[in-house]
Amino acid sequence: MRVRLLVGLLLCAALASVGALAAEPQYGGRLVIAIGVEPESLDPIGMSSAPAATVSEHISQPLIYLDVDGTLQPSLAVDWEASEDGRVWTLHLREGVTFHDGTPFNAEAVKMNLDRFLDPASGAPFRFLIARVTEVEVAGEYTVKLYTDEPFAPMLAHLSHSFIAMVSPEQLRALEPGDAITHPIGTGPFKLERWNRGEQVILTANEDYWGDRPYLDEVVFKFVPEDSARVVMLETGEADAIMRVPPLDVPRLDAHADVEVVHATSVRVIYIGFNNLREPFTDVRVRQALNYAIDKQEIVDVILGGAGEPSTAPIVPAVFGYYEAGPYEYNPEKAQELLAEAGYPDGFSATLYHPTGRYMMDATIAETVQSYLMDIGIDAELITMEWAAYLAHLQEPPETADYDMYMLGWGTVTLDADYGLYALLHSSQWPPAGWAVGFYKNAAVDAALDLARVTPPLDVRQALYETAVKGIWHDAPWLYLHDEVQINGVREGVHGLIHHPLENISAWEAWIDR
Amino acid sequence: MVWYFFRRLFLVIPTLVGVSIAVFAMVRLIPGDPALAMAGPHATPDYVQQIRLRLSLDEPLHVQYDRFMSGLLQGDLGRSTRTQRPVTAELWDKFPHTVELTLASLLIATAFGLPAGIISAAKRYSIFDNLSMLIALLGVSMPVFWLGLMLMLLFSVTLGWLPSVGRGSLLHLILPALTLGASSMAFVARITRSSMLEVLRQDYVVTARAKGLRERRVIYEHALKNALIPVVTVMGLQLGILLGGAVLTETVFAWPGVGRLMVDSIQARDYPVVQGAVLLLAVSFVLVNLLVDMTYALLDPRIKYN
Repeated sequence: MRVRLLVGLLLCAALASVGALAAEPQYGGRLVIAIGVEPESLDPIGMSSAPAATVSEHISQPLIYLDVDGTLQPSLAVDWEASEDGRVWTLHLREGVTFHDGTPFNAEAVKMNLDRFLDPASGAPFRFLIARVTEVEVAGEYTVKLYTDEPFAPMLAHLSHSFIAMVSPEQLRALEPGDAITHPIGTGPFKLERWNRGEQVILTANEDYWGDRPYLDEVVFKFVPEDSARVVMLETGEADAIMRVPPLDVPRLDAHADVEVVHATSVRVIYIGFNNLREPFTDVRVRQALNYAIDKQEIVDVILGGAGEPSTAPIVPAVFGYYEAGPYEYNPEKAQELLAEAGYPDGFSATLYHPTGRYMMDATIAETVQSYLMDIGIDAELITMEWAAYLAHLQEPPETADYDMYMLGWGTVTLDADYGLYALLHSSQWPPAGWAVGFYKNAAVDAALDLARVTPPLDVRQALYETAVKGIWHDAPWLYLHDEVQINGVREGVHGLIHHPLENISAWEAWIDR
Repeated sequence: MVWYFFRRLFLVIPTLVGVSIAVFAMVRLIPGDPALAMAGPHATPDYVQQIRLRLSLDEPLHVQYDRFMSGLLQGDLGRSTRTQRPVTAELWDKFPHTVELTLASLLIATAFGLPAGIISAAKRYSIFDNLSMLIALLGVSMPVFWLGLMLMLLFSVTLGWLPSVGRGSLLHLILPALTLGASSMAFVARITRSSMLEVLRQDYVVTARAKGLRERRVIYEHALKNALIPVVTVMGLQLGILLGGAVLTETVFAWPGVGRLMVDSIQARDYPVVQGAVLLLAVSFVLVNLLVDMTYALLDPRIKYN
């Protein structure tokens, strides 16, 4: 599957270059993208979902752009450096940029935006991204300094998040206290023309954009919750691109002459965590045995229709700090040997909690895992819970936590390993403090994660995360399942759409040839 | 008669109070911590606590209900936790679209259901009668979800005649209105038919026929007037049902109405909006029923007013 995906990507790249030879990018036109969920808000302090980020980043931009390969690219900030002790970050801003209302972009504007985002009273859901910042200083017309209470190495990756977007200071000044921005004025390649609640957002090209003017004149995001309806729109041409094609519809769309199905990486891993404090999951051999007992490739191919990849680490390859440690091959004999070694030749019984309708095919996957476990003598009792009750159940402290196994997914939305590994696997994050629900503890892993958090140089951090990932992979605190893959659909003749691992789709380089 | 209206109006009050209690309780009795569910596993404990405070979930239930009711009486339904906008603004954006869809569905239901019922009754046991009653049976029993997708596949994908989803021109209204109206249409047809059949058996119709009136005049002038009374009632009730039933249709067709807002809000655990939307639909239902009762009283002098 990994090979297939790679071939697919290469093919896409090849096709794209052939297309580029065949036709030059054309200016003009209107592109309609159907997405499943309406943004909850386009106000930086109100956004919390990928659909919001998708629309917002066309209008208002973060200081740094994280590209599809996970590389930090200059955007509104052109250069940056950390102080020796890692506590002060200096950002050099792009000159000559104006907001859509003509207000100049400068250090003062950055300070206003960041201060607003950091103000606990404004209640930004993703405030934690840069919560370590204690002061934002205007150090010149185009220079800002961020002071942090402790060294925080993932700072730049976190700053690149679409939610930390810059809007016009004039707009912020005019805002009544308690009111949210409904019509953001940013610096982006498109301006917000109109937002018909429940229907669509209409964007028009920003003629004065600081970068290259987008090819398209207009981009429309339509909100269509029903999966099949989005597919119909793509088939009829009412939409030029759609997000989240249901796996079952992929063969039909593949057969459609005017439609291309795009598989793109995502940032979410799906796993079944073990309660590392409960017998028999205290024994690493048992945890490894379960990892060998499941045919992840089969799950991905049959249940997800190819919309996934067996996990090779507790984070996905697109995340900084990834190291290819796996996968655990499907090997029931080895699983049984390990179980016997651990003193469970005849298996045991355990509970497996899982949500339903939260992740792609979650309940079906839990049932499949149950039947694989049955093959090695483990009797897993499935307990399905409604999402709210489930989350509450997983926030019990170690003394009262009564589950053996639990299914969860996690998207490392910062594309930095810190967010994926620290939150889920560092022993300081055991509930109720955090989401290290499996009560895993390995002092060496903790140390590596701690150090990687405060050491700015990227090569050192990468090495530290390799150590951590290797340790976590060997200890198998989870039953590693798969990385989700997003499936989008695009009409023939649409070029240059960016399918970002953060489940965004971007149109500023897109053009239509017809 | 005026006294009857007032009494009916007065009876609405306990109903609405009951509705408000049910709506309030519904959101709070769901197992699990609403604040945690709203914030999701990515959130920090601080943020979860912030939501709890913002929604006053830390206060005793009766204090919360008190707050809820006093807000309600002042027309303040709180703010959406998802969009931060006032719930009333969210509802005000969407409600006209739901009304539009509902009325269009009722129009379709009447325009097709009524004639089908009349003709079926007039030509009882004919091929037309059997066929239209079979279609009516299908219409009543077909799941809205499936019907919507099938219509979309036929008229948008295969034939390419109509736009599939969204709201815009009048053409956009046809498929969702047909989907939503299908079961009402079938219902109206069946009620009209049986009501007509009943009336046609009555003495004055026999007399009219005996006088030598043409069948057409017997049916349209003598029988229909009386046969329509139950039909009008049913149509009024259908209006209420359609208002609430728009939930699925609006979701399938991405129609920006209250029903879809409700689904989106349930998924996002946006309890203030869920509360508001359920309340709005419930109140509309109650009011439509009230209106039907009153119209019924006006139409049929046999209704007693005491």
